Amino acid sequence: MRCGDFRTTYAEDMAIFETRFARWALAAFLAFLLVLPQLAASYWLDILNRIGIAVIAAVGLNILTGFTGQISLGNAAFLATGAYVTAALAGKAGLPFPVVIPLAGLTTALVGMVFGVPSLRLKGLYLAMATLAAHFVIEFTITHWESLTGGVNGISTPAPRLAGFLFDSDRRLFYLIMPLAAALLLFAKNLFRTKVGKAFVAIRDQDISAEVMGVSVYRYKLLSFGVSSFYVGVAGSLLAYQARVISPENFPITVAIDYLGMIIIGGMGSILGSVFGAVFITIMPELLRLMTGALAGTFPALTELFAALKMGFFGLTIVLFLVFEPDGMAARWHTIKNYWKLYPFSY
Amino acid sequence: MTKTIRGALLSILASAALVPAAATAQAEIKVGGIFDLTGITSDVGKPYAQGVQDAVAWVNAGGGINGKKVKLIGVDYGYKIPEAVSAYKRMVNDEKVIMINGWGTGDTFAMKDFVAADKIPYFSASFFGGLTDPAKTPYNFFIAPSYSDQIRAWLSWVKADWKDKSRNPKVAFLYGDNPYGKAPVEAGRLFCKENGIDLVDEEVLPPNFQDATSQLLNMKQKGADYAYINVTTTGVSLVLKGAKALGLTTRFGSNPYGFSEQLPLVAKEAAEGVTGVVPHVPFGTDVPGMKKIVDFHKANHPNDTHDAMYVRGWCSALAWSEVLKRADKAGQLNGEGVKKAAETLSNFDMGGLTNNVTITPTDHRSMTKTPIYQVQDGKLVKVAEYDMPRKPEWLGL
Amino acid sequence: MELFLQLVISGLVVGSIYALVALGFVIIYKSTSILNFAQGEFLMLGAYVCLAIVGTHRVPFLAAFGLTLVFSMVLGIAMERVILRPMIGEPVISVIMVTLGLSSVLKAVVQGFWGTDLRPFPSIFPTKPILVGPLPVSQGYLYSVACVALLLVIFSLFFKYSRAGIAMRATAFSQQVALSMGISVKRIFALSWSIAAVVSAVGGVLLASIRGGVDGALAFFGLKVIPVVILGGLDSVLGAIVGGLVMGVLENLSGGYLDPIFGGGVKEVAPFLFLVIILTVKPYGLFGNVKIERV
Repeated sequence: MRCGDFRTTYAEDMAIFETRFARWALAAFLAFLLVLPQLAASYWLDILNRIGIAVIAAVGLNILTGFTGQISLGNAAFLATGAYVTAALAGKAGLPFPVVIPLAGLTTALVGMVFGVPSLRLKGLYLAMATLAAHFVIEFTITHWESLTGGVNGISTPAPRLAGFLFDSDRRLFYLIMPLAAALLLFAKNLFRTKVGKAFVAIRDQDISAEVMGVSVYRYKLLSFGVSSFYVGVAGSLLAYQARVISPENFPITVAIDYLGMIIIGGMGSILGSVFGAVFITIMPELLRLMTGALAGTFPALTELFAALKMGFFGLTIVLFLVFEPDGMAARWHTIKNYWKLYPFSY
Repeated sequence: MTKTIRGALLSILASAALVPAAATAQAEIKVGGIFDLTGITSDVGKPYAQGVQDAVAWVNAGGGINGKKVKLIGVDYGYKIPEAVSAYKRMVNDEKVIMINGWGTGDTFAMKDFVAADKIPYFSASFFGGLTDPAKTPYNFFIAPSYSDQIRAWLSWVKADWKDKSRNPKVAFLYGDNPYGKAPVEAGRLFCKENGIDLVDEEVLPPNFQDATSQLLNMKQKGADYAYINVTTTGVSLVLKGAKALGLTTRFGSNPYGFSEQLPLVAKEAAEGVTGVVPHVPFGTDVPGMKKIVDFHKANHPNDTHDAMYVRGWCSALAWSEVLKRADKAGQLNGEGVKKAAETLSNFDMGGLTNNVTITPTDHRSMTKTPIYQVQDGKLVKVAEYDMPRKPEWLGL
Repeated sequence: MELFLQLVISGLVVGSIYALVALGFVIIYKSTSILNFAQGEFLMLGAYVCLAIVGTHRVPFLAAFGLTLVFSMVLGIAMERVILRPMIGEPVISVIMVTLGLSSVLKAVVQGFWGTDLRPFPSIFPTKPILVGPLPVSQGYLYSVACVALLLVIFSLFFKYSRAGIAMRATAFSQQVALSMGISVKRIFALSWSIAAVVSAVGGVLLASIRGGVDGALAFFGLKVIPVVILGGLDSVLGAIVGGLVMGVLENLSGGYLDPIFGGGVKEVAPFLFLVIILTVKPYGLFGNVKIERV
């Protein structure tokens, strides 16, 4: 039960972490994460890294779709942009990763803003269609610009290097991905305390009123596409470093649908929700694989059904969440937290 | 494929994954299997996987590798490179396999540096020419003539079949938009140039294509007399049917994953007269090595139908089982030891199931003879065989 | 010139199948304002069910076809009742995601029951192609063009003159007003979903018999049809048909002429490029209703 919680200054009121408990809990969690790689098997490290990458991209998508209300099916294409730029800069030009990752993010931000231009005239469904088209156009470009991307054969990226230290295993990569994810999450959380973030939310809620009030809807929409694509581009860049070999097959339209699923299941318009969603969607196939592996003795048919089960489970989860918990896991989490806030005096 | 085949395949896959409990007591050799059971090449991937599984079971029943059982850890990767990479990481880091029987061109080629760094011998179902040069891909092997040698053989058949002396035969390539589809194209282009064949058209067939009409119309415009199709059986039958509907007179040929006993069944009359590369004999062919395969089939799943892909899986597994035996005898049952053992195969007799295998430390082209078969009355009939010289400039192409 | 004609004719013919699927999209959108991303899966499921009835149970084709239509009708109603009913009033993105989730589930069910192999589908049409101008066209395609023309007439009349059709248009315009006029909106939704499922099933059976086989790839049609409905206008039956034919032709022409330049794959991306152009120039499509919003 929370008590002694009163604020005397505006700063305290606007703080991201409202209570000391929250701050300590977060610090403990981060410390745990830093120690985790030393204990985990390499299979789980691979998953943790992929979760980290998914978290960054999911937050990016949430900024655009959850906070600014612009539906985008182009996530996979932007991931691909970040990844291929990284492969080109790190692989062919041999630049070090502290230069490559921001550059990849910026390039993707620019590409994102280009594809955000239709958002002035298009809303909702139509914007979704335009971003879907963007996906196929970018996919075509990647497959056919063979001199830069290697076409369908794919392209490999060398491991990131820092002053002689090579991040060449999943364990080491974790120490690159996790701090970056934490920093970007903090930045996003803070973004929505600022003028820019509030403008985004205003556009989502009532864009006509926002325009009337002096919020330049077009400028902020483009900026939202830019910031969101920067995040996704960074995630794509880390993906290139983690997967080491990327090809157009890494970025089918199902990836974009997965990310939309992440933010919907996690909770649109919530940074915590993006994290939940990313963890859930990334871990689900792995848990399913473990389950089918364990049960395959009694039901041999499961091994081949695994691919179908993965798809079906994903679809089913989305449908069930949307029908029963449309605000996502973050909403459920807050409900539970609120229950415990006043426990045992819930009334 | 019938439900019985699927059931049998899965139970074998599953039991292969679950044999641990029983077999950990005695020494066992872990081999990874990356198969396509549900992806776009699953029409040929499934029978191949079943072939590998059955061969392993047969080897184990016959005493295994000098007494040690082979544990095949099979995984379905759906022909998606990222899935293959994940499966590879799991197998190498967690399961600690000593070698892998892989499948597709794209993923095998993408992982060539990983397998070389990790020293995991990789026997693929992909016969991509780019995997034959030990200087570039030291740990990659396959038991067949390379796709490049295959297209050269087929082009040689074209040259022999073409009777009009007034001009060169005109050939077109129709290939899938992926590394597997593009694999033999460069070699094919060079061979055409060097041998007086006019390559008049190249058409790309997108993945999951339903209709090849515009590509076929383009090809018709260029007046191709022959065309080589490089996709899998499903795609080939779509192209053949489309060509028949358009009334094309082009004579078609296919690579070994597009041509099997299944083709006449699916494409029906459109498959008549079509030629194809068949490096592993159709099921039931009267050769010494076929008896054990037929007996195993009768004993374990007599109601299933099998084809050349099934035999292909057997060939791959039989070859690497022999390699494992040699590595074990030399006392070097590890990645590097298996590689060295593979490179000792010299004119290794495959019982007629495929041509004899020769792998050396400087040349991973396991064989150079390519049989050409033709569909006559719905049956596959051998019409020719071409032996390609081991030219150094063709190594790795 | 001959190539051009051939491409146009084959484009029209493939476009008729697009038109069929687009019709399903439009019918659902017209009455419920939902864009059903699972339309391709309805097509695929229709083909598989028909194959199962004909193949496994040895029922003569026409009876099997009828049963398939009944199945599709039930499927459409079930989908609407179980999944879309709770989605009323939810934001657009939730509805899009529900239909995407639905499409995943349907694909998984089909893959689970029938696997991924290409299963031969009996040819219901005689296999000898008929000459249309310079191009031999398989009879299956001609039947599908005829089918589409017939459906166009039927649905135009339906929406214009029948009570149910007018009720559907009223519901699309404003659900509240329709309710107050005594129209059972629930029944209208169920009706529109079942019609859309039936139309897709017809398209699926036609497509399967033309291809000669049924496999999971049929579902990709759903994605391809999105540019078609945008071109034609999301709420116009005529637009769906015209859009389908036009898109088929455009796709074939770009494939035929641009493939050699780009090395292939243009046919797949061309509809989406056109989508972008249409969205820039005429977002509501050729025949759609224009919603004006100015700030």
